[in-house]
Amino acid sequence: MQVADPKQLEALERSASRKRTLYRWLLFLVLGLFAIYYLAPLYVMIVTSLKSMDEIREGNLMTLPGEIMLDAWKTAWSGRGYAAGDVFLRPFFWNSLKMVVPAVAISTFFGALNGYALTKWRFKGDNILFLLFLFGCFIPYQAILLPMARTLGILGLSNSISGLVLVHTVYGLSFTTMFFRNYYISIPDEMIKAARIDGAGFFKIFFKVLLPISAPIIVVTVIWQFTGIWNDFLFGSSFSFGEAAPIQVALNNMVLTSTSVKEYNVDMAAAFIAGIPTLLVYVLAGKYFIRGLTAGSVKG
Amino acid sequence: MATLKVSDLTKNFGKTQVLKQINLDVSDGEFIVLLGPSGCGKSTLLNMIAGLESVDEGEILIDEYVVNRVEPKDRNIAMVFQSYALYPAMTVRDNVTFGLKQRKVSKEKIEQSLKHFSKMLQIDQLLERKPAQLSGGQRQRVAMGRALVREPQIFLFDEPLSNLDAKLRIEMRHEINKLHEQLGTTMIYVTHDQVEAMSLATRIAVMNEGIIQQIGTPQEIYDKPNSVFVADFIGSPAINLIHGTYSKNGAEACFIPDLQKDDFKIPLSDYAFESEPKDGQQIIFGFRPEHINLPDVSLKSSMKVELKPTLIELTGYEKEVSFEFFGNEVTGRLPRHIEAELAKPISLNLDLSEISIFDSASTLRL
Repeated sequence: MQVADPKQLEALERSASRKRTLYRWLLFLVLGLFAIYYLAPLYVMIVTSLKSMDEIREGNLMTLPGEIMLDAWKTAWSGRGYAAGDVFLRPFFWNSLKMVVPAVAISTFFGALNGYALTKWRFKGDNILFLLFLFGCFIPYQAILLPMARTLGILGLSNSISGLVLVHTVYGLSFTTMFFRNYYISIPDEMIKAARIDGAGFFKIFFKVLLPISAPIIVVTVIWQFTGIWNDFLFGSSFSFGEAAPIQVALNNMVLTSTSVKEYNVDMAAAFIAGIPTLLVYVLAGKYFIRGLTAGSVKG
Repeated sequence: MATLKVSDLTKNFGKTQVLKQINLDVSDGEFIVLLGPSGCGKSTLLNMIAGLESVDEGEILIDEYVVNRVEPKDRNIAMVFQSYALYPAMTVRDNVTFGLKQRKVSKEKIEQSLKHFSKMLQIDQLLERKPAQLSGGQRQRVAMGRALVREPQIFLFDEPLSNLDAKLRIEMRHEINKLHEQLGTTMIYVTHDQVEAMSLATRIAVMNEGIIQQIGTPQEIYDKPNSVFVADFIGSPAINLIHGTYSKNGAEACFIPDLQKDDFKIPLSDYAFESEPKDGQQIIFGFRPEHINLPDVSLKSSMKVELKPTLIELTGYEKEVSFEFFGNEVTGRLPRHIEAELAKPISLNLDLSEISIFDSASTLRL
């Protein structure tokens, strides 16, 4: 095509730039719609939790609260205004924290150690062992409820936070091992060889050479484990009850066992409280999460 | 200072035998280069000497002691790797001194060695940096420093220059050469680069398919390759190999190329056979590109040939010219001022004083 005519050229440029702007806005529109679709429930939760019951009954889901009321949050957290025996979240929040911190720490640490041993100290059958670990990732948790309950009984850990820590550690190991194994396999073996010649042993190499460069995968593993364990309901409800229950179980009890009218604002506030820690973890470490997920593909 | 002896060393990975009864004797202060194509077992051999791979059969002796079951750290060796293998989380200082700290060397001694060797390798300005902040050449120097401070009995190098660009590679090669001069320590060096091998080694061991094909000084390897493999592997451009027949008529021995015309033959009366072939035996005649010369060069044993250029490449200080030679293509290295034209025959001299003759069947030198 001939574009020697400057006027023609100008017209072409204008139409191209118009087209670009149009596509840009179309893109924003579609992405915006998706974002609204995803965030709408969150909006409803927050708005509802800040309203009084009267306001909820009168208005609709989307209206903003006339006056911001934190009463529902206080009730959900510390049981303010509740009758004795009603469930509120504070003690169970600490239960969950006492469960999630050791379970995440232990499963991450041993996952790292396993991944290190499986990739850098190869032995006969190491691949078969790793396959078994992978197999562990696919076990449906419902299938092991009964044997695990029996095991916890024998160990004397039924209905205790320690019992839940054990269960989550054992079932988290498959995933944490896989994460670390896949990360360490991309780290050149020569680095380990050099350290061996330098005189470092198994643990020295692990702590001094490998662990300091494992930050990305540690973040991924911690987020994964934290989310999984914090949000777990099945193990929590199967192996604990009453005072030893984690927060998700307590939330369920709170919402389902209210004797009088449904207090939607309290329910929403409670659900939000139960979700805050995982949100926080994502906000704080999300950047590293994405970096860690892609880290394995490029050689450091 | 140490000697190294490898006897009947064998290594299997699953069902594949990667090393087949390797024998190697290294005297104190030697610079041995293990040279071969990838997959020939040279790196495996080095790893076994280092103690990073177990020994299936045979023995490794350092200073007369069998070290088959001795841990790498107790063999008093140091190794430099192709990927540098620096510890990414540590500073240069910690990288270099890590080995000494593991050995509980006193602080003053560590500081002293660090100072000495970092100055020698010109990395004393980089001590507080992390490996990620260094260039390839600097990383290589740090890796060398880490090996040097240990003051080992034997240095092992596993293709240490392969990741560097061409210019830096030559620079580091010179430094390694100087280092060997200065320290006089026994060194074993693995590479697939023949130029590195030729320029560094006191002796080269050419390996292929798990065996040492030939071991000797660079000169011996280049001038008297003991097999077609060695002849072909060493030298660039590669040696010219021509198939043909050995003919002996009384005292007159000669080589007759397979597709010769007009009774063309090359006299072999001056060639010193290690074992003389029979009349009519199939042989391979080998001569290096520099053995095709202009006629005015005076040679003690040569013959005149007329050859047609098929390809002319200027490499800078000379011309690499390919010729048609009875169905083969042979390469010659000629002075750059030569006036060669495609398909126009030029008369040249074939230098017969440094040719190699191989048996066609066994591909070994005759």
